[in-house]
Amino acid sequence: MIVAPENYVALSAVLFTIGVVGVIARRNPLIMLMSIELLFNAANLALVTYARAWVNNVGHIFAFLVITVAAAEAAIGLAIVAVAFRNLPHVDVDDAAVLKG
Amino acid sequence: MMLAFVWLAPLAGGILLWAFGPQLRSWAGPIGSALIGASFLATCALWGSATAPGALHVPLVSWLHGWNFGLQLDRLSLIWSLIITGVGFLIHVYSIGYMDGDRAFARFFAYMNFFVFAMLTLVLSDNVIGLLVGWGLVGLASYFLIGFWFDRPSAVAAARKAFVMNVVGDVGMMFAIFLIVAKLGAIGYADVFAGVGHALDSGTVFLICVGLFVGCAAKSAQVPLHTWLPDAMEGPTPVSALIHAATMVTAGVYLIARFAPLWSASAEAREMAGVIGGLTAISGAVLGCVQWDIKRILAYSTMSQIGYMIMGVGVGAFTGGVFHFLTHAFFKAQLFLGAGIIIHALANQQDVRRMGGLRTRMPFAFLAMLVGVLAICGVPGFSGFFSKDDVIYGTLAAGHPWLYAVGVLTAGITAYYMFRLLFVTFFGPYRGDVDAAALGIAVEPSGPSVAGHHAEEEEPHHHAPPGLMNVPVAILILPTIFIGWLDFGEGSPWKQFFRGFPGFDAAATSAAMPELASTGLVLAVVAAGFTLAYARYGTTAALRDAVARLRNETLRTPPVLVHAYYFDAAYELIFARSARALGSWFDRVIDPHVIDAGVREVAISSEWLGHLFRSFQTGLVRVYALSLVFGVACFVAYYALAFGVSR
Repeated sequence: MIVAPENYVALSAVLFTIGVVGVIARRNPLIMLMSIELLFNAANLALVTYARAWVNNVGHIFAFLVITVAAAEAAIGLAIVAVAFRNLPHVDVDDAAVLKG
Repeated sequence: MMLAFVWLAPLAGGILLWAFGPQLRSWAGPIGSALIGASFLATCALWGSATAPGALHVPLVSWLHGWNFGLQLDRLSLIWSLIITGVGFLIHVYSIGYMDGDRAFARFFAYMNFFVFAMLTLVLSDNVIGLLVGWGLVGLASYFLIGFWFDRPSAVAAARKAFVMNVVGDVGMMFAIFLIVAKLGAIGYADVFAGVGHALDSGTVFLICVGLFVGCAAKSAQVPLHTWLPDAMEGPTPVSALIHAATMVTAGVYLIARFAPLWSASAEAREMAGVIGGLTAISGAVLGCVQWDIKRILAYSTMSQIGYMIMGVGVGAFTGGVFHFLTHAFFKAQLFLGAGIIIHALANQQDVRRMGGLRTRMPFAFLAMLVGVLAICGVPGFSGFFSKDDVIYGTLAAGHPWLYAVGVLTAGITAYYMFRLLFVTFFGPYRGDVDAAALGIAVEPSGPSVAGHHAEEEEPHHHAPPGLMNVPVAILILPTIFIGWLDFGEGSPWKQFFRGFPGFDAAATSAAMPELASTGLVLAVVAAGFTLAYARYGTTAALRDAVARLRNETLRTPPVLVHAYYFDAAYELIFARSARALGSWFDRVIDPHVIDAGVREVAISSEWLGHLFRSFQTGLVRVYALSLVFGVACFVAYYALAFGVSR
């Protein structure tokens, strides 16, 4: 069964929207990091879809790069979360606003 | 090489004495004097090469094209150099005695040597820039030496006044030099003179002369820039003798004589210099008649005599004007040094009303002063007779009968006030112990003449051998009497000496009366001046009740003369007060409402901008993320609309 690329793109858009809403609406940093992973994966899905549709492997290569970056981002993000919340009473990103002007 | 030695030996002395003064102590005086003496001997040795055709020229540095700096010893600068180093040497020797015991003995000689160096820079330079440098340096040296006793407020004020006045002149000179450089692109005297009539048209020449004359008026104490000279007497007496009588103040005469080709080319400039010189001569002489401070009398007489010189060189009687410089250097140094002996012996008393009868107490000082007075008055046979006659007759020969009348009248006034000085100081009873009020002397704590001379007395004088002060004066007596004979008659050695000097021959000679008649007239006026002085101060009756007479005269002096024609008051009113008013206006209006307000506005506006941007910086990551998304959405919408539609 061949699924039309439009469906993949639509799924990608839905995933991206969920990710954006998660980043914006949630205050738990872990959830936010997970939402960011959703954003990455939505982008990956779109890249792979277009690569297949246009028969151009650049999209695949980009997907791999994004996966690598996502792994690095997750590691750094978790490290920041661990360090930051060792010093803060609650797990809430709005509390970590000491650098505001 | 020798010329460089002449030039640099005083500088070496200045640096040496300045750097090692405390170590050298009493050796500073002899070392400083010896260097000036060496410089004088070297100058004498250069006589031959300086008077040879083409003069002596030593190129030093070449900078831009046409900008060659060098030293030049021609006949004119030779005369000046000989006076500067020769009279300078005698005054240095005199100072060893006069300044003995002063706390800053070495500093004094360092400054004096520096002055000689500066003055030599001025006269030995072969270009206008070097001239300006020397011009500025002598002003600086003068400032140092007037303010030598810097713990006296009056001396500091006088030094500052002299410096400011001199800077006014420097600006005029700079203007003239800028004009020369702009028109010619060259700075050497030879180039400048070659340009007269070609690159420099008559209007430019006149402007250059005006600029030079402003400098000359400030340095040589010509009306209206003369007010610093009487105050400059705050310096030690040898300084007054060397700088403010014999050499520096005659720099203006040198300047005009040096630029003789320019002055010869501009009748208007000659007119101006002659009139200002004549005005200075007579106004200085009149003020000399009402002064009581012995140094101020001599200061006004200096002003008056320089007025003569400027009048002489101004109208084109260059040899006469320069000759008056030569004789004046001797007799005025003589007078000042003689006055210095008196001041030194009377523990810094400078008020002639407190003197009297010094003829018997100080016969040598009397002799010295007498010779000086006879010379300055132009008594036949003494040096001043020949030179003053030259100048006065020169004005007539140049066709200025009014200036001639002024010159003759001033000669009479000169005789009056100089003999007044002589009678009051040396004849009658000694009045040093008379109560000040009985003499009509206003007792004010800051009076320039009587009070304020404490600095010298702080350390007890262990008097130096009097010979050290008397010998230079005794040596000066000879030229004071005899130097005038150099210019005796037609074809005199002096006139021969300057034959063919650039610009000197241009003076027209069309006298309205023979020289002998003119001499007779001058002598008659001088005799009248002497008679008046004798009648008022010299007769037995006048000497008997001298105290009452002096008191009367002190109280009755016209205020306009006491205040020296209100020049100082006018400057106070015009420049000082208006500057202060401008300053306070700036303080009240510009500073708070423009400058401070501007700074404040910058601060306020940046604070306001900060508030504005601060509202975006919530510190909430979600808000940032939302704005990020919003921005991306805007981009997407833009591209979708712009390119989506076009496809």
